[in-house]
Amino acid sequence: MMSRRKFLLLTGAAAAGAFLTPQISARTHFVESPEDVKAKRRWGMAVDVEKCTECMEELIAKTGNPEVKPPCVVACDKENNVPEFEDKRIDPQWMRIAKMVIDKPVNPREFYIPLLCNHCEHPPCVQVCLTMASFKRPDGIVEVDMHRCIGCRYCMIACPYGARSFNFHDPREGLKEVNPNVQMRTEGVVEKCTFCVHRVDEAVAKGEEPVPACVEACKKFGKGALVFGNVKDPESEISKILRENIVVQLRANLGTDPHVFYTKLGGE
Amino acid sequence: MAVEFKKIEGDSIQYFALIIVLAAVTALGFYAYILEHKYALSGLSNRVPWGIVNAGIPYFIGLSAGSLIVSALSGVFNIKKYKVFSRIAAYMAAAWIIAAILSIALDIGKLYHFMNAVRYFNPTSIFSWNAFLYSSYFVICSIYLLVQFEDMERATRFMACLAVFWAVLVHSGTGAIYSFIYAKELYHSALTPPMFIVCAITSGLGLLLATLYYTFRFTNRELDPQLIRGLALIFAGLMMVLGYFLAVEGLEKGYIPALHEAVHFVFLTPNSGVFWSFWLLVIFGIVIPTLIILYPKTGYDPRLVSMAGIMHAALVFAERFYLIVPGQVFPEEYLHGYKIESLHTLEGYLVSYTPTITEWLQVIGLIAMVYLLFAVGVKIFALIPERAAEEVEE
Repeated sequence: MMSRRKFLLLTGAAAAGAFLTPQISARTHFVESPEDVKAKRRWGMAVDVEKCTECMEELIAKTGNPEVKPPCVVACDKENNVPEFEDKRIDPQWMRIAKMVIDKPVNPREFYIPLLCNHCEHPPCVQVCLTMASFKRPDGIVEVDMHRCIGCRYCMIACPYGARSFNFHDPREGLKEVNPNVQMRTEGVVEKCTFCVHRVDEAVAKGEEPVPACVEACKKFGKGALVFGNVKDPESEISKILRENIVVQLRANLGTDPHVFYTKLGGE
Repeated sequence: MAVEFKKIEGDSIQYFALIIVLAAVTALGFYAYILEHKYALSGLSNRVPWGIVNAGIPYFIGLSAGSLIVSALSGVFNIKKYKVFSRIAAYMAAAWIIAAILSIALDIGKLYHFMNAVRYFNPTSIFSWNAFLYSSYFVICSIYLLVQFEDMERATRFMACLAVFWAVLVHSGTGAIYSFIYAKELYHSALTPPMFIVCAITSGLGLLLATLYYTFRFTNRELDPQLIRGLALIFAGLMMVLGYFLAVEGLEKGYIPALHEAVHFVFLTPNSGVFWSFWLLVIFGIVIPTLIILYPKTGYDPRLVSMAGIMHAALVFAERFYLIVPGQVFPEEYLHGYKIESLHTLEGYLVSYTPTITEWLQVIGLIAMVYLLFAVGVKIFALIPERAAEEVEE
């Protein structure tokens, strides 16, 4: 019985592979050619750790909650339909704030930094994905195709930054309201930050500067610690920041070339 | 033909009782899968997304590859006396690979996207290569078994060589799934693929010794203790090689100051399952079984040898746990020199992972399924010889 199952699996796979792949593969159609996009745009984010820490310190003092979600995280959750579950072990979180402290006894100051998908130039998750459900766009954004993901979680193992969450439950169970502009995931697939790809595409089509939800919220309600932009454009704000600051990439030794840059660590 | 293979009768009450028990345990395993995915009952988390059902994949593939390498001993090296085991071992190899593929199916989150793993191929993904290797390996196992049934001498030898080559490929690939992950220092090691091969042969051989002994006993067939002794010595020798590999790897990791804390946690912190998985493997999975076989008073007793085989094969599962879990449980340093603790997730913290009963039932269910296939197989195919002796008449 099993060998028949296997036989069907193999012949079915061969047939499907030969006939169906070119027709149903979810391909992104660009108005511009991928080479053009690659030459023109590469999205990245810069984080001012000093401002981020200031905002978090104020917020924690005000609310008395050491695990308070700052505006950027709240906005991200709301914008991208990131569900809220009681159990931290299985609660998906695209953006989270981490306490950073040097491991020394002399009165260490606590800094706060946001953690999110680094949209690496050489993303390990894309490297290991069985089905190419994780893929990198020509403009550098790393995305997950929910319809292709088989939920093997190999990418979560491979990601050096813990950026990915698995949907142990149907995300709708953990949502109060749904943003219809962002696709809904289902139980059993992996998800992560997309740099608000829907906003990016919309803005690019209109010829505007894209602003992800977290960056918008940070400007409006926070200290403006986050800057998003095109690192290939020498005039962009992010390019200016990269030029004028010492920036740090997380786990740069791995050669993944992350595109979230941290500046002003230690508040120079 | 010098070796006569014969089907078993399989009409005793005990036989049917065995079939029913195995079928029930298998069904329970699949039921546990349904429950687990419906109510999220696993002990997994976003920090530890791979648990024991995933560990089942390399474990079953190891048993399969090991079994096949033993089976092909007679074919590749032309050792006539081991020919008696060639069919049963090849059959077990095919059964274990089914368990391995089912283990993948049970582990993934979206079962109805499973075919995507076959439809789409990512050349940079080792798991993607393995999806191809596993299915082709099953086909090779089946053909190898078929040419044996047909007594095609030359084809059998050719298929034996191909099968061994493929088994090494498949199992090295499985090791590479884990060990090529450079994001986790405790995973990253070039030693894992060769260690997987050694471990495959030892666990496959250990379980095969026990399976052979009990099958021959319950079917009242003759099994020459000398034959068991020969295999047992190979088994003991390779267990020592496995111990050597583990020692080299552990010492190398322990030498790196950046990993001191992690190594201390893995090897010297008795309140975690990781510690126990490693030390139980070393003591009950390697040292004691090796001593049983090498000590002359116990090493010739096929009952004790099978016990050593079962002990080792069971604890190789602990080895898989030791391979997969610590790298996830122990937090990675995002910015070297700084301690980073997330406010909203468990990043930066030591996360515990305790397999739940539903996870255990899935693994046990798959093992029961393999033995169900075996019990049915020996009845419908001529897998085991009438008698197995050291000398083979030409």
